[in-house]
Amino acid sequence: MADVLAAPRPRRSRLVRRVARHPIGIAAAAVIVVLLVMVTLGPVLYGQSPETANPAESLASPGAQHWLGTDELGRDVFARILAGGRVSLAVGLLSMLVGLTLGTLVGGLSGYFGGRTEMLLMRTVDVFMAIPAFFLILVIITAFGNHPATVIVTVGLGFWAQMARVVHAEFSKYRNAEFVEATHALGASHPRTMTLHILPQVVPQAIVLATLGVGWSILSEAALSYLGLGIQPPLASWGSMLQNAQAYLWAKPMLAIYPGLFIALTVLAFNTLGNALRDVLDPRDV
Amino acid sequence: MTAYIIRRLMQGVVVLFLISAVTFFLINLAPGGPSSAVSFQSTAAEREAVLKQYGLDKPVMVRYVDWLSQAVRGNLGTSLNQGLPVARLLAQRAGATLELGLTALFLATLGGVLLGIVAAGFRNRWPDHVVSALSALGMAIPGFWLGIVVIIVFAVHLGWLPTSGVFSVGKQFSLADRLRHLALPAGVLAFTLMPNIVRVTRSALLEVTHSDYVRTAHAKGLLPRVVLLKHTFKNALVPVLAILGLVTTVLFSGSVVIESVFGWAGLGRLAIEAANGRDYPVILGVTLLAGAFVVVVNLLVDLLYAAVDPRIRHG
Amino acid sequence: MPRKTGPHLTTRLLALLAALAIFTIATAQTPNYDPNGSLTFVTNADPTLNPWTPGAVIESNLVNTILFDQLTRYSTKDLTPSPDLATSWEAAPDALSWTFHLRQGVKWSDGKPFGAADVAFTFNKVILNKALGANNSSVFSPVDHVEVVDPNTVRFVLKSPFSSLPYYLAYFAGMLPAHVLESAPNPLQVASFNKSNPVVTGPFKVAEFVPGSYVRLEPNPDYWGQAPKVKTIVFKVVADPNTQLAQLLAGDVDMVTVTNPTLLAGVERNPNLEVLRQSQNIWYWVALNQSDPRFTDVRVRQALLTAIDRQAIIDSVLKGYGTVATGPIAPLQKAFYDGSVPSYPYDPARAKQLMADAGWTPGPDGILQKDGKKLTITVPTGQFGYLVNATLLVQQYWKAIGVDAKLNVMEWNAYIQDVVVKRNYQATLAWWSTPPTPDITPYFSTAAAEKGNNIPNYKNAELDALMAKARAATNVDDEVTVVKAIEANVAQNLPYLFLWYPDIITVLNKKVGGMATINTPTAFQYSADWYVKR
Repeated sequence: MADVLAAPRPRRSRLVRRVARHPIGIAAAAVIVVLLVMVTLGPVLYGQSPETANPAESLASPGAQHWLGTDELGRDVFARILAGGRVSLAVGLLSMLVGLTLGTLVGGLSGYFGGRTEMLLMRTVDVFMAIPAFFLILVIITAFGNHPATVIVTVGLGFWAQMARVVHAEFSKYRNAEFVEATHALGASHPRTMTLHILPQVVPQAIVLATLGVGWSILSEAALSYLGLGIQPPLASWGSMLQNAQAYLWAKPMLAIYPGLFIALTVLAFNTLGNALRDVLDPRDV
Repeated sequence: MTAYIIRRLMQGVVVLFLISAVTFFLINLAPGGPSSAVSFQSTAAEREAVLKQYGLDKPVMVRYVDWLSQAVRGNLGTSLNQGLPVARLLAQRAGATLELGLTALFLATLGGVLLGIVAAGFRNRWPDHVVSALSALGMAIPGFWLGIVVIIVFAVHLGWLPTSGVFSVGKQFSLADRLRHLALPAGVLAFTLMPNIVRVTRSALLEVTHSDYVRTAHAKGLLPRVVLLKHTFKNALVPVLAILGLVTTVLFSGSVVIESVFGWAGLGRLAIEAANGRDYPVILGVTLLAGAFVVVVNLLVDLLYAAVDPRIRHG
Repeated sequence: MPRKTGPHLTTRLLALLAALAIFTIATAQTPNYDPNGSLTFVTNADPTLNPWTPGAVIESNLVNTILFDQLTRYSTKDLTPSPDLATSWEAAPDALSWTFHLRQGVKWSDGKPFGAADVAFTFNKVILNKALGANNSSVFSPVDHVEVVDPNTVRFVLKSPFSSLPYYLAYFAGMLPAHVLESAPNPLQVASFNKSNPVVTGPFKVAEFVPGSYVRLEPNPDYWGQAPKVKTIVFKVVADPNTQLAQLLAGDVDMVTVTNPTLLAGVERNPNLEVLRQSQNIWYWVALNQSDPRFTDVRVRQALLTAIDRQAIIDSVLKGYGTVATGPIAPLQKAFYDGSVPSYPYDPARAKQLMADAGWTPGPDGILQKDGKKLTITVPTGQFGYLVNATLLVQQYWKAIGVDAKLNVMEWNAYIQDVVVKRNYQATLAWWSTPPTPDITPYFSTAAAEKGNNIPNYKNAELDALMAKARAATNVDDEVTVVKAIEANVAQNLPYLFLWYPDIITVLNKKVGGMATINTPTAFQYSADWYVKR
């Protein structure tokens, strides 16, 4: 009895040891936490408003009152970075969730069951993927307008099909594998086999893709805003700030650098974290 | 195998039909009309006259059926805003996008696979870290921003390369001239695509390297290089192929923004102009073309899968 | 040694004179411009080479101006109508017709002669044919039809007096060849004409059109005027304004019209470029939908204009490239412009007072209210140029006097559908760009409300009468008197809230010579005068 109770601990400490071997991953996680705290608490603590325009102070350099200076309408850049961060991160995370859920579901089901199910589902994926992601997003947003919820769902829709394809490839690799036959022989039901036995094999790939998904979503939103289709003013997002800053590349290039920097930093952090997570969770990593 | 191919192609036709229907109905939900009819200064009389000319006063279903019955005969109609036959417009623009896309894909695959092998081979040592850092950077930087910066540095300040366009105006065709125009946009596009390929190559190689059959090969005493090439690489190819298939289709999306920045007269820019301008026949034409391309590429990738990994059977 | 004089000196002098003479003649023959010169311009999309085809707008205007001559063109000095394909014109004493005398010996670029038949075709079969929906055709609504008096004379028969006809004939109103287009089912949609090789009378004709890339023009050997001094003109298709400027800075392009003044920073330091501040008859406005009873009170309109610090918006959004507007007639119309009308200087206190006079007082939350209803205004805004930024500032100024304005930023096409087609808006900010004529009927008349260009749906019988009187004027002095009365009327009643006249900034490579500086559309009507400096 005591042995059984004692058993889990060595596994957990092994996990902790593995995590400790990835200082970069921890750093990335820390960066993400800091960013999340900044965009949540920042607007409360930092005095300036992201929306109040002050034409007299337009394009001011960084100073005591405006930590990163002001934009063309005299709005505080740092406040907009914080407010924009909220929007960009929210869009990034939520879009990724939409894509991840839909993609794993469809990919898993089609890869596992094969036959008719596979044909039907994968052809649906083909239909989605046959309309290039960006173009699909363009068409949907043109049709339905650019309300933030529409943008989130649409960006997620641009990404789920890729997810489904890769998950499908992985599931179809394993569907005829010996260990799967074994679980069936032991009487496991399909959902059980899929979630408890095959899914864990797919998790490393899925995590990497999911974190890539956050990055891709944030970058997609930025590109959409560059084309004028994403988050609309006065709501700030890092992408729409880049669109405004585009006109000032010669006059005040830093206006484009700040949001670009934050986008790059955030996406970098998520990707690094994803890498580290994959290394930690990969059961074959000795 | 032939039966499989034929079946997939037929499914492809169904897919194209579905795509066209979905796109048609979606784009007709969009408010407004073709920009040649609906402009800020046109009066109601002018607007209505032009919309009637374009047949846009008919109900949506009727218009779709009209379009479809012409499309199956190979007639994709005329652009509402540009006055040119859609097929001709597509042909002209597709060439430019293919040029850009294939070059970028070639550069990205070359660079990506090589870097991925380096990273896997020197796992957790400094080359791996450098490659990881570079590819992480490549995935984090917005492509259009990189494009503008690159134009400013290389074309304006240094004057080494042209600022935009597919070729110089009025000159005879010259390979050198085309390559100079291709350098920046293809480079930027490849830079944004490479990280995906690096990542997947590396992780696939690593996954396979630790599997039993590879350990057996090592145990048998085979040289590491032989193991890498004969056993590891082929099996690692499966997910890499999947990603390549994805990347090829993602090229359309990536090139949309790059084409806008570099003034590249390709399908991506055509798509944006057509969507913004509600040029229905062109939107449908581009969708069909892109769709057909993707269906064919997916089929090729799946066939390659079967060739490379006997575990995956197609029946 | 004694100097030789006499016949030797005379010979030397003669030789010197001869040499001088030869030298003068020789240099006079050598042009001070490059005879193989080439000029490159940009356009943001593929042009449609037909000025009347629906949708041929800013991407086509400049190239069409070079290719297609008009009956009249604007003077480069004061923008009054000057001869082009017509050499003189006069209105009938009853003001119900205009007769135009055409220039003799003009040929189309395919060698056929130009004449009255072409003018009649262009108007009767194209512009006045409602089913075709030609661009800008609605401004010619007072024209009933055009008669051919003889091969070199046409008469415009009018439904009502139309004193500004010669002005409209110079505004992107090129003539079309009857012999080429009259047999086409739709003369405005002939692809071989619009997209390849149109038949024209201008100084240049099309040599090559590569869709998506460029249009190349070459001199027209049949041109009626002085032969052009430039060998090639190219219009490159470059969609992105940043890229256009990058091309200008790199020397790949010779002229760019800059719509966003903030892009000028890199340009001003470049020694090869010159920045020209020009003006056209463009005025930005806020329209308050007159179907909304809250805005029918003139004090509310005046208050909302007084609350806006227009100069501050000009300084920040337009970087100073603009002037506060007093009405729809810009200062460049020197004969007609009246700057003495009420101009509503920025005064938030006065604005609040005006609102109070109209019954709007601040509620507990600071927002104005009347009869228990808050003053909330929805403001659809199109994504174009700096409209969004300007509207954001207006929203802020209105907030300061207690008006709750909610912005709804929309994609341009959707915006047009809502605001222009359905008139489903409460307030909106946009602009008009009109020919430099004092005729403002299309934008202010009751007949133009709802379905026409009277976006606020403003209806005022007194103003309608004044505008009709201006159209019936038979001489300039009478017209000036009536126009000044019109300006006073609209300044008082504010059918639109007049915001500013933007400066048009043209950046030119210094190698371009002979281009009129008054404004670009006018300069392009004189492309035969251009040359490339050595």
